[in-house]
Amino acid sequence: MKAFFTVLSVLLVGVLASEEYCYDDVVRACKTTNKLSTSPINCTAKYGAIDGVEEYLQKYVNHHFIRSFEYLLMSTHYANYEKNRLGFEKLFRGLSDETWHDAIELIQYITKRGGEMNFQTVSNDIISEEQQDANFELYELQSIAKALDIEKKLAVEAHRIHGEATRKNSKFHDPEISSHLEHEFMPKHRDTIRKLAGYTSDLSTLLNGPDSSLSLYLFDEYLQKQ
Amino acid sequence: MKTTVVALCVFLSCSIAIGSAVLQCEHKELDIPKEWKDMVDPCVHSMRGQIEEELKAAMQYMAMGAHFSKDTINRPGFAKMFFESASEERQHAIKLISYLLMRGELTSRVSELIKRNLAPKTTSWVTGVEALKDALKLEASVTKKIREVIKVCEDNPTKYNDYHLVDYLTGDFLDEQYHGQRDIAGKVSTLEKLMEKHGALGEFLFDKKLLE
Ligand SMILES: [Fe+2]
Repeated sequence: MKAFFTVLSVLLVGVLASEEYCYDDVVRACKTTNKLSTSPINCTAKYGAIDGVEEYLQKYVNHHFIRSFEYLLMSTHYANYEKNRLGFEKLFRGLSDETWHDAIELIQYITKRGGEMNFQTVSNDIISEEQQDANFELYELQSIAKALDIEKKLAVEAHRIHGEATRKNSKFHDPEISSHLEHEFMPKHRDTIRKLAGYTSDLSTLLNGPDSSLSLYLFDEYLQKQ
Repeated sequence: MKTTVVALCVFLSCSIAIGSAVLQCEHKELDIPKEWKDMVDPCVHSMRGQIEEELKAAMQYMAMGAHFSKDTINRPGFAKMFFESASEERQHAIKLISYLLMRGELTSRVSELIKRNLAPKTTSWVTGVEALKDALKLEASVTKKIREVIKVCEDNPTKYNDYHLVDYLTGDFLDEQYHGQRDIAGKVSTLEKLMEKHGALGEFLFDKKLLE
């Protein structure tokens, strides 16, 4: 029993001390007589649950890069002289630009919270996509359908990270991270998803008519003006 | 005559079926003259490779941006510069893609154009100078690769000199490479001199300069 209390008090002291990590380290470092302080001072920007959520955020960044390059391929396909659909090119190029810039913003966010970026970590389901010989040279409606699926995946992934950050467990609970995702990412995804879903509705009625080529031509003209 | 009608019906029946349920999503095979498409395979191949090289450079700069953004490194000026370089490199890839499209290329095998092997090799640097030196080496290697593309497109087994592309790469791309390299070399020099006697202070001041 006594031992238990000792352990508990040691733990408590540990917890209390950790609140003033940085200050204590600085005091020690400034006292060092040989001028060169050897131990690193623990004055990082880390607080809350960034350690618990960091890996999910890193993956999220890498998924953005993968999607950005895929959108670039889709855009490229529409810009060749046989497809020659400049509106579709613009649509996918815009999605590629957006995911690219979101990736940079996410890296900046991770480092704002004292974390770091790891470019190697990717979710298994996205690694397995690669084995299925992905095709990005698609017909108009198919390509928008694919983009809609990609955007939904990204949106749901943000929900999942948000879920991790709202777990009532101090290792994960971090309302700042969930709030950042809520305000910086979720509305953008909502709008893109709505836009793409609207396009698939339009195209599936337009392609159900007597002249789908003319419909596609006019729809492409419309996309160019967006 | 009968066969034509049957064939026509078969052809029409697909559009009619579409009228009810199946959508007509695909268009017919096109018959566009190919004579104007005069790029030769070895040249196209090396251009496709260069697109990936530019993206690799983009991701390498991205890693530099991420490194200098860390709280324990805290060099926002360096980070800003490297993130911008990353986006510039991506633009170079897009410029090369646009060129190939203009010449009638990239009508097939577009999906294989970018592979998922772009993760940066180096992800941490001891100092800012170290990273700038790496950036300079990276640019020099890109320059060398552009020169190789030029060589292939000027003189290859097919003996076809692609004057226009060679001119574009020489006048546009190499021009930017050489100006960029000079700029980085100047930065390395200034920073290294600053740090000779005032290591930490030199890098601190230089970083803030980069934010201006
Ligand atoms: Fe470049």
